[in-house]
Amino acid sequence: MSRLSASGWLVFKLIVTAVIVLPFLFILLLSFRSMADIFRNPLGFTGNWVPENFARAWNGPPGGTGFGHYFINSLLVAFVAVVLAAIIGAVAAYFVSLLPGRWRARVLMIPLIATIVPTIALLIPFFQVFSAWGILNNPFAVGVLYAGLSLPMTVLILHAFFVDFPSELREAGAIDGLGHFRTFARIVVPLSKPSLLAVSLLNLIWVWGETQIAIVLLQKATSQTIPVGVLTFQSSFMSDLGPIFAGLSLATIPVLIVYFTFNKTISQGVSMGGTFR
Amino acid sequence: MAGAPARRRATSAGLRIRPRVVLLAAGPALVLMVAVFALPIVQTIQLSFSDWRGFGPIDFIGIGNYVDVLTGSEFWNSLRLTAQFAVLATVGIVVFALLLAVAVTRGQKGDSVFRAIWFLPAIVPGTAAAVFWGISVQPNSGVINNILGFLGLGSDHAWLASPQTALYVVIGVAVWISTAFPFLLLAGAIDRVPIEVYEAARIDGAGQWRQFWYFTLPLIRPVLTMVVALQLIWNFNAFTLVWAMTKGGPAESTTILPVLLYQEGFKNGDFGTAATMGVLSSILLIALGAVTLRRSAARAAGE
Repeated sequence: MSRLSASGWLVFKLIVTAVIVLPFLFILLLSFRSMADIFRNPLGFTGNWVPENFARAWNGPPGGTGFGHYFINSLLVAFVAVVLAAIIGAVAAYFVSLLPGRWRARVLMIPLIATIVPTIALLIPFFQVFSAWGILNNPFAVGVLYAGLSLPMTVLILHAFFVDFPSELREAGAIDGLGHFRTFARIVVPLSKPSLLAVSLLNLIWVWGETQIAIVLLQKATSQTIPVGVLTFQSSFMSDLGPIFAGLSLATIPVLIVYFTFNKTISQGVSMGGTFR
Repeated sequence: MAGAPARRRATSAGLRIRPRVVLLAAGPALVLMVAVFALPIVQTIQLSFSDWRGFGPIDFIGIGNYVDVLTGSEFWNSLRLTAQFAVLATVGIVVFALLLAVAVTRGQKGDSVFRAIWFLPAIVPGTAAAVFWGISVQPNSGVINNILGFLGLGSDHAWLASPQTALYVVIGVAVWISTAFPFLLLAGAIDRVPIEVYEAARIDGAGQWRQFWYFTLPLIRPVLTMVVALQLIWNFNAFTLVWAMTKGGPAESTTILPVLLYQEGFKNGDFGTAATMGVLSSILLIALGAVTLRRSAARAAGE
Protein backbone atom coordinates (compact mmCIF):
# COMPACT_ATOMS: atom_id res chain seq x y z
CA MET A 1 0.00 0.00 0.00
CA SER A 2 2.64 2.51 1.02
CA ARG A 3 4.90 1.38 -1.81
CA LEU A 4 2.04 1.93 -4.24
CA SER A 5 1.51 5.46 -2.99
CA ALA A 6 5.26 6.10 -3.09
CA SER A 7 5.42 5.21 -6.77
CA GLY A 8 2.24 7.22 -7.36
CA TRP A 9 3.99 10.30 -5.95
CA LEU A 10 7.05 9.58 -8.08
CA VAL A 11 4.95 9.47 -11.27
CA PHE A 12 3.32 12.74 -10.24
CA LYS A 13 6.73 14.31 -9.64
CA LEU A 14 8.02 13.19 -13.01
CA ILE A 15 4.97 14.64 -14.79
CA VAL A 16 5.40 17.97 -12.98
CA THR A 17 9.09 17.97 -13.87
CA ALA A 18 8.25 17.36 -17.53
CA VAL A 19 5.73 20.23 -17.59
CA ILE A 20 8.38 22.53 -16.11
CA VAL A 21 11.42 21.40 -18.08
CA LEU A 22 9.91 20.75 -21.53
CA PRO A 23 9.31 24.44 -22.37
CA PHE A 24 13.01 25.10 -21.81
CA LEU A 25 13.97 22.21 -24.07
CA PHE A 26 11.52 23.39 -26.73
CA ILE A 27 12.93 26.92 -26.64
CA LEU A 28 16.44 25.55 -27.10
CA LEU A 29 15.44 23.05 -29.78
CA LEU A 30 13.36 25.54 -31.77
CA SER A 31 16.24 28.08 -31.62
CA PHE A 32 18.13 25.87 -34.04
CA ARG A 33 15.35 25.30 -36.54
CA SER A 34 14.10 27.22 -39.55
CA MET A 35 10.73 28.91 -39.84
CA ALA A 36 9.56 26.46 -42.52
CA ASP A 37 10.49 23.44 -40.40
CA ILE A 38 8.86 24.87 -37.28
CA PHE A 39 5.65 25.40 -39.21
CA ARG A 40 5.79 21.92 -40.74
CA ASN A 41 6.38 20.15 -37.44
CA PRO A 42 7.28 22.09 -34.27
CA LEU A 43 7.74 18.89 -32.27
CA GLY A 44 10.21 17.21 -34.61
CA PHE A 45 13.93 17.18 -35.20
CA THR A 46 13.65 17.15 -38.97
CA GLY A 47 15.05 19.73 -41.35
CA ASN A 48 18.14 21.86 -41.32
CA TRP A 49 20.16 22.87 -38.32
CA VAL A 50 20.14 26.70 -38.33
CA PRO A 51 22.64 28.07 -35.80
CA GLU A 52 22.53 31.39 -37.70
CA ASN A 53 19.32 32.09 -35.75
CA PHE A 54 21.57 33.06 -32.86
CA ALA A 55 23.60 35.50 -34.92
CA ARG A 56 20.39 37.08 -36.18
CA ALA A 57 19.00 37.30 -32.65
CA TRP A 58 22.23 38.85 -31.35
CA ASN A 59 22.45 41.44 -34.16
CA GLY A 60 18.74 42.00 -34.64
CA PRO A 61 16.91 42.63 -37.90
CA PRO A 62 18.79 44.70 -40.52
CA GLY A 63 18.93 48.27 -39.23
CA GLY A 64 17.35 47.24 -35.91
CA THR A 65 18.63 46.25 -32.51
CA GLY A 66 19.23 42.78 -31.19
CA PHE A 67 20.13 40.94 -28.04
CA GLY A 68 23.69 42.29 -28.19
CA HIS A 69 22.29 45.68 -27.18
CA TYR A 70 19.71 44.30 -24.76
CA PHE A 71 22.31 42.17 -23.06
CA ILE A 72 24.71 45.02 -22.39
CA ASN A 73 21.88 47.24 -21.16
CA SER A 74 20.64 44.52 -18.82
CA LEU A 75 24.15 44.01 -17.46
CA LEU A 76 24.53 47.73 -16.79
CA VAL A 77 21.11 48.07 -15.15
CA ALA A 78 21.63 44.94 -13.05
CA PHE A 79 25.11 45.94 -11.93
CA VAL A 80 24.07 49.43 -10.83
CA ALA A 81 20.89 48.21 -9.11
CA VAL A 82 22.35 45.22 -7.28
CA VAL A 83 25.56 46.86 -6.08
CA LEU A 84 23.88 50.09 -5.01
CA ALA A 85 21.07 48.27 -3.18
CA ALA A 86 23.55 45.98 -1.42
CA ILE A 87 25.80 48.81 -0.20
CA ILE A 88 23.14 51.31 0.84
CA GLY A 89 20.82 48.59 2.15
CA ALA A 90 23.47 46.80 4.19
CA VAL A 91 24.70 49.96 5.92
CA ALA A 92 21.14 51.01 6.76
CA ALA A 93 20.14 47.53 7.95
CA TYR A 94 23.20 47.17 10.17
CA PHE A 95 22.88 50.49 11.94
CA VAL A 96 19.15 50.08 12.44
CA SER A 97 19.86 46.67 13.98
CA LEU A 98 21.95 48.42 16.69
CA LEU A 99 18.99 50.46 17.89
CA PRO A 100 17.00 49.37 20.95
CA GLY A 101 14.13 46.97 20.10
CA ARG A 102 11.31 49.48 20.44
CA TRP A 103 12.99 51.84 18.02
CA ARG A 104 13.86 49.13 15.55
CA ALA A 105 10.23 48.07 15.24
CA ARG A 106 9.24 51.67 14.50
CA VAL A 107 11.97 52.35 11.97
CA LEU A 108 11.30 49.07 10.14
CA MET A 109 7.72 50.14 9.47
CA ILE A 110 9.18 52.33 6.69
CA PRO A 111 10.49 49.50 4.48
CA LEU A 112 7.55 47.30 5.49
CA ILE A 113 4.99 49.79 4.24
CA ALA A 114 7.05 50.34 1.10
CA THR A 115 6.75 46.63 0.24
CA ILE A 116 2.98 46.90 -0.18
CA VAL A 117 3.05 49.91 -2.52
CA PRO A 118 1.95 48.65 -5.95
CA THR A 119 3.92 49.58 -9.06
CA ILE A 120 0.86 51.10 -10.76
CA ALA A 121 0.78 53.77 -8.07
CA LEU A 122 4.31 54.85 -9.04
CA LEU A 123 4.59 54.35 -12.77
CA ILE A 124 3.29 57.66 -14.11
CA PRO A 125 5.41 59.88 -11.84
CA PHE A 126 8.49 57.81 -12.77
CA PHE A 127 7.78 58.61 -16.40
CA GLN A 128 7.04 62.24 -15.60
CA VAL A 129 10.27 62.81 -13.66
CA PHE A 130 12.47 60.86 -16.08
CA SER A 131 10.99 62.85 -18.93
CA ALA A 132 11.43 66.20 -17.12
CA TRP A 133 15.03 65.41 -16.21
CA GLY A 134 15.83 64.18 -19.72
CA ILE A 135 16.84 60.72 -18.53
CA LEU A 136 14.28 58.65 -20.45
CA ASN A 137 16.05 55.83 -22.32
CA ASN A 138 18.93 55.94 -19.82
CA PRO A 139 19.68 52.45 -18.45
CA PHE A 140 21.96 53.82 -15.72
CA ALA A 141 19.12 55.92 -14.27
CA VAL A 142 16.79 52.91 -14.41
CA GLY A 143 19.44 50.95 -12.47
CA VAL A 144 19.38 53.57 -9.69
CA LEU A 145 15.58 53.45 -9.66
CA TYR A 146 15.62 49.64 -9.38
CA ALA A 147 18.08 49.93 -6.49
CA GLY A 148 15.59 52.15 -4.68
CA LEU A 149 12.75 49.75 -5.37
CA SER A 150 14.81 46.78 -4.12
CA LEU A 151 15.79 48.54 -0.89
CA PRO A 152 12.82 47.61 1.33
CA MET A 153 13.31 43.87 0.86
CA THR A 154 17.10 44.21 1.03
CA VAL A 155 16.94 46.13 4.31
CA LEU A 156 14.37 43.79 5.88
CA ILE A 157 16.27 40.59 5.08
CA LEU A 158 19.67 41.97 6.06
CA HIS A 159 18.27 43.50 9.24
CA ALA A 160 16.89 40.11 10.28
CA PHE A 161 20.37 38.71 9.75
CA PHE A 162 22.28 41.53 11.49
CA VAL A 163 20.02 41.40 14.56
CA ASP A 164 21.39 37.94 15.26
CA PHE A 165 24.97 38.95 14.57
CA PRO A 166 27.04 37.90 17.63
CA SER A 167 27.61 41.01 19.73
CA GLU A 168 30.93 39.61 21.03
CA LEU A 169 32.40 40.13 17.56
CA ARG A 170 31.21 43.72 17.48
CA GLU A 171 32.63 44.28 20.95
CA ALA A 172 35.96 42.92 19.77
CA GLY A 173 35.95 45.68 17.18
CA ALA A 174 35.21 48.28 19.83
CA ILE A 175 38.05 46.99 22.01
CA ASP A 176 40.40 47.31 19.06
CA GLY A 177 39.35 50.93 18.88
CA LEU A 178 37.38 50.63 15.68
CA GLY A 179 34.44 52.98 15.31
CA HIS A 180 31.00 51.79 14.26
CA PHE A 181 31.69 52.25 10.56
CA ARG A 182 35.03 50.46 10.60
CA THR A 183 33.66 47.64 12.74
CA PHE A 184 30.97 47.23 10.11
CA ALA A 185 33.40 47.30 7.19
CA ARG A 186 36.14 45.11 8.68
CA ILE A 187 34.28 42.64 10.87
CA VAL A 188 30.57 42.52 10.01
CA VAL A 189 30.71 42.62 6.20
CA PRO A 190 33.31 39.85 5.75
CA LEU A 191 31.26 37.58 8.03
CA SER A 192 27.97 38.40 6.28
CA LYS A 193 28.96 37.54 2.74
CA PRO A 194 26.47 34.64 2.32
CA SER A 195 23.51 36.82 3.32
CA LEU A 196 24.67 39.72 1.17
CA LEU A 197 25.03 37.31 -1.74
CA ALA A 198 21.57 35.79 -1.17
CA VAL A 199 19.86 39.19 -1.13
CA SER A 200 21.83 40.37 -4.15
CA LEU A 201 20.87 37.29 -6.15
CA LEU A 202 17.17 37.84 -5.39
CA ASN A 203 17.55 41.45 -6.48
CA LEU A 204 19.38 40.34 -9.62
CA ILE A 205 16.59 37.94 -10.62
CA TRP A 206 13.95 40.61 -10.07
CA VAL A 207 15.89 43.25 -12.01
CA TRP A 208 16.68 40.83 -14.85
CA GLY A 209 12.96 40.22 -15.47
CA GLU A 210 11.41 43.60 -14.61
CA THR A 211 9.19 44.78 -17.48
CA GLN A 212 6.39 47.06 -16.32
CA ILE A 213 8.67 50.00 -15.45
CA ALA A 214 11.30 49.38 -18.11
CA ILE A 215 8.73 49.38 -20.92
CA VAL A 216 7.76 52.92 -19.91
CA LEU A 217 11.22 54.36 -19.22
CA LEU A 218 13.25 52.60 -21.92
CA GLN A 219 11.26 53.17 -25.09
CA LYS A 220 14.14 53.51 -27.55
CA ALA A 221 15.20 50.04 -28.75
CA THR A 222 18.93 50.73 -28.21
CA SER A 223 18.32 51.48 -24.52
CA GLN A 224 16.16 48.46 -23.74
CA THR A 225 16.87 45.64 -21.33
CA ILE A 226 16.32 41.97 -22.16
CA PRO A 227 12.70 41.57 -20.99
CA VAL A 228 11.52 44.64 -22.91
CA GLY A 229 13.81 43.74 -25.80
CA VAL A 230 12.09 40.35 -26.06
CA LEU A 231 8.82 42.17 -26.81
CA THR A 232 10.33 44.66 -29.27
CA PHE A 233 12.14 41.81 -30.92
CA GLN A 234 9.03 39.70 -31.22
CA SER A 235 7.22 42.44 -33.11
CA SER A 236 10.12 43.02 -35.51
CA PHE A 237 10.62 39.30 -36.27
CA MET A 238 6.90 38.50 -36.35
CA SER A 239 7.18 36.23 -39.36
CA ASP A 240 10.33 34.38 -38.37
CA LEU A 241 10.15 32.21 -35.28
CA GLY A 242 13.73 30.85 -35.42
CA PRO A 243 15.45 34.07 -34.30
CA ILE A 244 12.67 34.69 -31.75
CA PHE A 245 13.38 31.36 -30.08
CA ALA A 246 17.11 32.02 -30.28
CA GLY A 247 16.37 35.33 -28.53
CA LEU A 248 14.38 33.54 -25.82
CA SER A 249 17.36 31.22 -25.33
CA LEU A 250 19.68 34.19 -24.98
CA ALA A 251 17.28 35.76 -22.45
CA THR A 252 16.99 32.59 -20.40
CA ILE A 253 20.42 30.91 -20.44
CA PRO A 254 22.25 33.54 -18.31
CA VAL A 255 19.73 33.26 -15.45
CA LEU A 256 19.83 29.49 -15.67
CA ILE A 257 23.61 29.56 -15.25
CA VAL A 258 23.37 31.92 -12.28
CA TYR A 259 20.58 29.83 -10.77
CA PHE A 260 22.33 26.48 -11.05
CA THR A 261 25.55 27.96 -9.68
CA PHE A 262 23.88 29.52 -6.64
CA ASN A 263 20.62 27.61 -6.20
CA LYS A 264 21.31 26.79 -2.53
CA THR A 265 21.96 30.43 -1.74
CA ILE A 266 18.90 31.56 -3.69
CA SER A 267 16.53 29.17 -1.90
CA GLN A 268 18.05 30.31 1.41
CA GLY A 269 17.28 33.87 0.36
CA VAL A 270 13.68 32.91 -0.33
CA SER A 271 13.31 31.30 3.07
CA MET A 272 14.88 34.39 4.69
CA GLY A 273 11.79 36.22 3.50
CA GLY A 274 12.82 37.29 0.05
CA THR A 275 10.23 38.05 -2.60
CA PHE A 276 10.72 39.29 -6.11
CA ARG A 277 9.06 42.55 -5.15
CA MET B 1 41.04 42.71 38.15
CA ALA B 2 42.22 46.07 36.87
CA GLY B 3 41.28 45.20 33.33
CA ALA B 4 37.65 44.38 34.08
CA PRO B 5 36.15 47.88 34.47
CA ALA B 6 38.04 49.14 31.42
CA ARG B 7 36.74 46.26 29.44
CA ARG B 8 33.18 46.83 30.55
CA ARG B 9 33.49 50.45 29.49
CA ALA B 10 34.72 49.44 26.05
CA THR B 11 31.86 46.98 25.79
CA SER B 12 29.16 49.44 26.57
CA ALA B 13 30.74 52.04 24.29
CA GLY B 14 30.74 49.43 21.54
CA LEU B 15 27.06 48.64 22.02
CA ARG B 16 25.64 52.07 22.52
CA ILE B 17 24.78 53.92 19.36
CA ARG B 18 23.68 57.47 18.98
CA PRO B 19 20.49 58.03 16.96
CA ARG B 20 22.33 60.67 14.93
CA VAL B 21 24.85 58.07 13.73
CA VAL B 22 22.02 55.71 12.71
CA LEU B 23 20.31 58.50 10.84
CA LEU B 24 23.54 59.30 9.01
CA ALA B 25 24.14 55.65 8.08
CA ALA B 26 20.56 54.92 7.08
CA GLY B 27 20.17 58.33 5.42
CA PRO B 28 20.93 57.32 1.82
CA ALA B 29 18.51 54.39 2.03
CA LEU B 30 15.85 56.60 3.56
CA VAL B 31 16.27 59.32 0.93
CA LEU B 32 16.15 56.82 -1.92
CA MET B 33 13.04 55.08 -0.55
CA VAL B 34 11.24 58.38 -0.05
CA ALA B 35 12.22 59.36 -3.59
CA VAL B 36 10.96 56.20 -5.27
CA PHE B 37 7.95 55.34 -3.07
CA ALA B 38 6.58 58.27 -1.08
CA LEU B 39 6.96 61.17 -3.50
CA PRO B 40 5.60 59.28 -6.54
CA ILE B 41 2.48 58.24 -4.62
CA VAL B 42 1.78 61.84 -3.70
CA GLN B 43 2.40 62.81 -7.31
CA THR B 44 0.05 60.11 -8.67
CA ILE B 45 -2.70 61.43 -6.39
CA GLN B 46 -2.06 64.99 -7.63
CA LEU B 47 -2.08 63.93 -11.27
CA SER B 48 -5.36 62.11 -10.78
CA PHE B 49 -6.96 65.53 -10.27
CA SER B 50 -5.43 66.91 -13.47
CA ASP B 51 -5.82 66.51 -17.21
CA TRP B 52 -2.06 66.15 -17.84
CA ARG B 53 -1.32 64.71 -21.26
CA GLY B 54 2.31 63.72 -20.83
CA PHE B 55 3.92 67.10 -21.45
CA GLY B 56 3.47 70.78 -20.61
CA PRO B 57 2.00 72.30 -17.46
CA ILE B 58 -0.31 70.39 -15.13
CA ASP B 59 -3.81 71.88 -14.92
CA PHE B 60 -6.06 70.73 -12.15
CA ILE B 61 -9.64 69.90 -13.01
CA GLY B 62 -11.02 68.79 -9.66
CA ILE B 63 -12.71 65.44 -9.38
CA GLY B 64 -13.61 65.24 -13.09
CA ASN B 65 -11.47 62.16 -13.74
CA TYR B 66 -12.99 60.29 -10.84
CA VAL B 67 -16.52 61.07 -12.04
CA ASP B 68 -15.61 59.93 -15.57
CA VAL B 69 -13.86 56.75 -14.47
CA LEU B 70 -16.45 55.71 -11.90
CA THR B 71 -19.48 56.43 -14.10
CA GLY B 72 -18.05 54.86 -17.26
CA SER B 73 -18.16 51.14 -17.94
CA GLU B 74 -14.50 50.65 -18.91
CA PHE B 75 -13.09 50.75 -15.39
CA TRP B 76 -15.75 48.48 -13.92
CA ASN B 77 -15.44 45.92 -16.72
CA SER B 78 -11.71 45.89 -16.28
CA LEU B 79 -12.02 45.61 -12.50
CA ARG B 80 -14.33 42.62 -12.86
CA LEU B 81 -11.88 41.01 -15.30
CA THR B 82 -8.95 41.76 -13.02
CA ALA B 83 -10.72 40.23 -10.02
CA GLN B 84 -11.64 37.17 -12.08
CA PHE B 85 -8.06 36.83 -13.30
CA ALA B 86 -6.48 37.38 -9.88
CA VAL B 87 -8.80 35.01 -8.01
CA LEU B 88 -8.66 32.15 -10.54
CA ALA B 89 -4.89 32.43 -10.97
CA THR B 90 -4.38 32.57 -7.20
CA VAL B 91 -6.55 29.51 -6.60
CA GLY B 92 -4.68 27.57 -9.28
CA ILE B 93 -1.28 28.69 -8.05
CA VAL B 94 -1.93 28.00 -4.37
CA VAL B 95 -3.48 24.58 -4.99
CA PHE B 96 -0.60 23.48 -7.20
CA ALA B 97 1.99 25.03 -4.88
CA LEU B 98 0.56 23.09 -1.92
CA LEU B 99 0.42 19.85 -3.87
CA LEU B 100 3.99 20.28 -5.08
CA ALA B 101 5.17 21.25 -1.61
CA VAL B 102 3.62 18.12 -0.11
CA ALA B 103 5.20 16.02 -2.86
CA VAL B 104 8.75 17.06 -1.96
CA THR B 105 8.41 16.94 1.83
CA ARG B 106 7.74 13.23 2.24
CA GLY B 107 11.38 12.40 2.82
CA GLN B 108 11.84 10.65 -0.50
CA LYS B 109 15.08 10.41 -2.42
CA GLY B 110 15.78 13.11 -4.96
CA ASP B 111 13.48 15.70 -3.39
CA SER B 112 16.17 18.37 -3.30
CA VAL B 113 16.64 17.93 -7.05
CA PHE B 114 12.90 18.29 -7.68
CA ARG B 115 12.87 21.40 -5.51
CA ALA B 116 15.70 22.95 -7.49
CA ILE B 117 14.08 22.19 -10.85
CA TRP B 118 10.55 23.18 -9.89
CA PHE B 119 11.72 26.64 -8.88
CA LEU B 120 12.95 27.37 -12.42
CA PRO B 121 9.85 29.22 -13.73
CA ALA B 122 10.33 31.83 -10.99
CA ILE B 123 13.72 32.93 -12.27
CA VAL B 124 13.02 33.15 -16.01
CA PRO B 125 12.26 36.67 -17.30
CA GLY B 126 8.46 36.80 -17.34
CA THR B 127 8.27 38.15 -20.88
CA ALA B 128 10.39 35.27 -22.21
CA ALA B 129 8.05 32.67 -20.67
CA ALA B 130 5.00 34.60 -21.85
CA VAL B 131 6.27 34.92 -25.42
CA PHE B 132 7.12 31.21 -25.50
CA TRP B 133 3.65 30.19 -24.31
CA GLY B 134 2.03 32.73 -26.62
CA ILE B 135 3.71 31.11 -29.61
CA SER B 136 2.99 27.59 -28.34
CA VAL B 137 -0.76 28.08 -28.39
CA GLN B 138 -0.82 29.41 -31.95
CA PRO B 139 -2.89 27.25 -34.28
CA ASN B 140 -0.94 24.57 -36.21
CA SER B 141 2.60 25.89 -35.65
CA GLY B 142 2.34 25.97 -31.84
CA VAL B 143 3.79 23.23 -29.68
CA ILE B 144 0.68 22.89 -27.51
CA ASN B 145 -1.66 22.67 -30.46
CA ASN B 146 0.59 20.03 -32.00
CA ILE B 147 0.53 17.95 -28.85
CA LEU B 148 -3.27 18.23 -28.84
CA GLY B 149 -3.32 17.26 -32.51
CA PHE B 150 -1.11 14.28 -31.72
CA LEU B 151 -3.65 13.22 -29.09
CA GLY B 152 -6.39 13.53 -31.70
CA LEU B 153 -7.89 16.69 -30.20
CA GLY B 154 -7.25 18.95 -33.19
CA SER B 155 -4.32 21.28 -33.74
CA ASP B 156 -6.02 24.39 -35.11
CA HIS B 157 -7.37 26.04 -31.95
CA ALA B 158 -6.77 29.79 -31.98
CA TRP B 159 -6.81 30.00 -28.20
CA LEU B 160 -5.54 33.58 -27.90
CA ALA B 161 -7.64 34.92 -30.76
CA SER B 162 -10.91 34.06 -29.09
CA PRO B 163 -12.36 36.31 -26.37
CA GLN B 164 -13.90 33.19 -24.81
CA THR B 165 -10.58 31.41 -24.21
CA ALA B 166 -7.83 34.05 -24.13
CA LEU B 167 -8.24 34.91 -20.44
CA TYR B 168 -8.08 31.26 -19.39
CA VAL B 169 -4.96 30.61 -21.45
CA VAL B 170 -3.25 33.56 -19.77
CA ILE B 171 -4.38 32.29 -16.35
CA GLY B 172 -2.89 28.89 -17.20
CA VAL B 173 0.43 30.49 -18.05
CA ALA B 174 0.25 32.54 -14.84
CA VAL B 175 -0.04 29.27 -12.94
CA TRP B 176 2.97 27.84 -14.79
CA ILE B 177 5.09 30.91 -14.05
CA SER B 178 3.97 31.76 -10.52
CA THR B 179 3.56 28.42 -8.75
CA ALA B 180 7.30 28.08 -8.24
CA PHE B 181 7.74 30.80 -5.66
CA PRO B 182 4.93 29.91 -3.22
CA PHE B 183 5.83 26.25 -3.74
CA LEU B 184 9.25 26.87 -2.22
CA LEU B 185 7.83 28.98 0.62
CA LEU B 186 5.25 26.33 1.50
CA ALA B 187 7.76 23.49 1.24
CA GLY B 188 9.92 25.45 3.72
CA ALA B 189 6.95 25.87 6.05
CA ILE B 190 6.14 22.15 5.91
CA ASP B 191 9.81 21.37 6.62
CA ARG B 192 9.52 23.32 9.85
CA VAL B 193 6.58 21.25 11.12
CA PRO B 194 8.14 19.24 13.98
CA ILE B 195 8.46 15.54 13.26
CA GLU B 196 6.65 14.75 16.56
CA VAL B 197 3.47 16.14 15.07
CA TYR B 198 3.52 13.44 12.40
CA GLU B 199 4.36 10.77 14.92
CA ALA B 200 1.38 11.84 16.99
CA ALA B 201 -0.78 11.79 13.89
CA ARG B 202 0.38 8.28 13.02
CA ILE B 203 -0.34 7.07 16.54
CA ASP B 204 -3.83 8.52 16.15
CA GLY B 205 -4.12 6.36 13.03
CA ALA B 206 -4.50 9.34 10.71
CA GLY B 207 -4.03 8.54 7.01
CA GLN B 208 -2.09 10.75 4.63
CA TRP B 209 -5.02 12.96 3.80
CA ARG B 210 -6.18 13.42 7.38
CA GLN B 211 -2.58 14.00 8.44
CA PHE B 212 -2.33 16.84 5.94
CA TRP B 213 -5.74 18.32 6.66
CA TYR B 214 -5.72 18.19 10.46
CA PHE B 215 -2.02 18.49 11.31
CA THR B 216 0.06 20.04 8.52
CA LEU B 217 -2.40 22.61 7.20
CA PRO B 218 -3.20 24.32 10.52
CA LEU B 219 0.52 24.59 11.29
CA ILE B 220 1.43 26.23 7.99
CA ARG B 221 -1.62 28.47 7.94
CA PRO B 222 0.24 31.73 8.70
CA VAL B 223 2.51 31.19 5.69
CA LEU B 224 -0.43 30.07 3.57
CA THR B 225 -2.41 33.21 4.40
CA MET B 226 0.53 35.37 3.43
CA VAL B 227 1.03 33.42 0.19
CA VAL B 228 -2.64 33.85 -0.77
CA ALA B 229 -2.57 37.59 -0.09
CA LEU B 230 0.71 38.07 -1.98
CA GLN B 231 -0.53 36.07 -4.96
CA LEU B 232 -3.77 38.05 -5.14
CA ILE B 233 -1.71 41.25 -5.20
CA TRP B 234 0.80 39.99 -7.78
CA ASN B 235 -1.86 38.59 -10.09
CA PHE B 236 -3.93 41.74 -9.79
CA ASN B 237 -0.79 43.41 -11.12
CA ALA B 238 0.06 40.85 -13.83
CA PHE B 239 0.89 43.46 -16.44
CA THR B 240 3.95 41.73 -17.88
CA LEU B 241 2.26 38.44 -18.63
CA VAL B 242 -0.88 39.91 -20.17
CA TRP B 243 0.92 42.55 -22.19
CA ALA B 244 3.40 40.02 -23.58
CA MET B 245 0.69 37.53 -24.54
CA THR B 246 -2.39 39.49 -25.64
CA LYS B 247 -1.83 43.24 -25.19
CA GLY B 248 -5.24 43.19 -23.50
CA GLY B 249 -7.09 41.70 -26.47
CA PRO B 250 -8.94 40.17 -28.19
CA ALA B 251 -11.90 42.55 -27.85
CA GLU B 252 -10.61 43.74 -24.45
CA SER B 253 -11.19 40.27 -23.01
CA THR B 254 -7.88 40.40 -21.11
CA THR B 255 -7.62 44.13 -20.34
CA ILE B 256 -6.82 43.91 -16.65
CA LEU B 257 -6.41 47.21 -14.77
CA PRO B 258 -2.62 47.64 -15.10
CA VAL B 259 -3.00 47.10 -18.86
CA LEU B 260 -5.90 49.56 -19.06
CA LEU B 261 -3.85 52.12 -17.13
CA TYR B 262 -0.88 51.64 -19.46
CA GLN B 263 -3.04 52.04 -22.57
CA GLU B 264 -4.90 55.04 -21.17
CA GLY B 265 -1.69 56.84 -20.17
CA PHE B 266 1.14 55.72 -22.38
CA LYS B 267 -0.82 54.88 -25.54
CA ASN B 268 -3.65 57.43 -25.47
CA GLY B 269 -1.70 60.12 -23.60
CA ASP B 270 -4.46 60.59 -21.02
CA PHE B 271 -2.28 60.52 -17.92
CA GLY B 272 -4.87 62.16 -15.67
CA THR B 273 -7.34 59.33 -16.20
CA ALA B 274 -4.56 56.75 -15.94
CA ALA B 275 -3.45 58.24 -12.59
CA THR B 276 -7.05 58.08 -11.36
CA MET B 277 -7.21 54.39 -12.25
CA GLY B 278 -3.86 53.95 -10.51
CA VAL B 279 -5.15 55.56 -7.32
CA LEU B 280 -8.37 53.54 -7.31
CA SER B 281 -6.63 50.20 -7.86
CA SER B 282 -3.91 51.05 -5.37
CA ILE B 283 -6.49 51.56 -2.66
CA LEU B 284 -7.65 47.99 -3.23
CA LEU B 285 -4.14 46.59 -3.41
CA ILE B 286 -2.87 48.42 -0.34
CA ALA B 287 -5.89 47.19 1.64
CA LEU B 288 -4.99 43.68 0.55
CA GLY B 289 -1.32 44.25 1.34
CA ALA B 290 -2.15 45.41 4.86
CA VAL B 291 -3.24 41.81 5.53
CA THR B 292 0.34 40.66 5.08
CA LEU B 293 1.80 43.58 6.97
CA ARG B 294 1.14 42.42 10.52
CA ARG B 295 2.84 39.10 9.93
CA SER B 296 5.78 40.67 8.13
CA ALA B 297 6.10 43.21 10.94
CA ALA B 298 6.36 40.45 13.52
CA ARG B 299 8.89 38.68 11.35
CA ALA B 300 10.98 41.80 10.75
CA ALA B 301 11.15 42.69 14.43
CA GLY B 302 12.98 39.41 15.02
CA GLU B 303 10.59 36.48 14.31
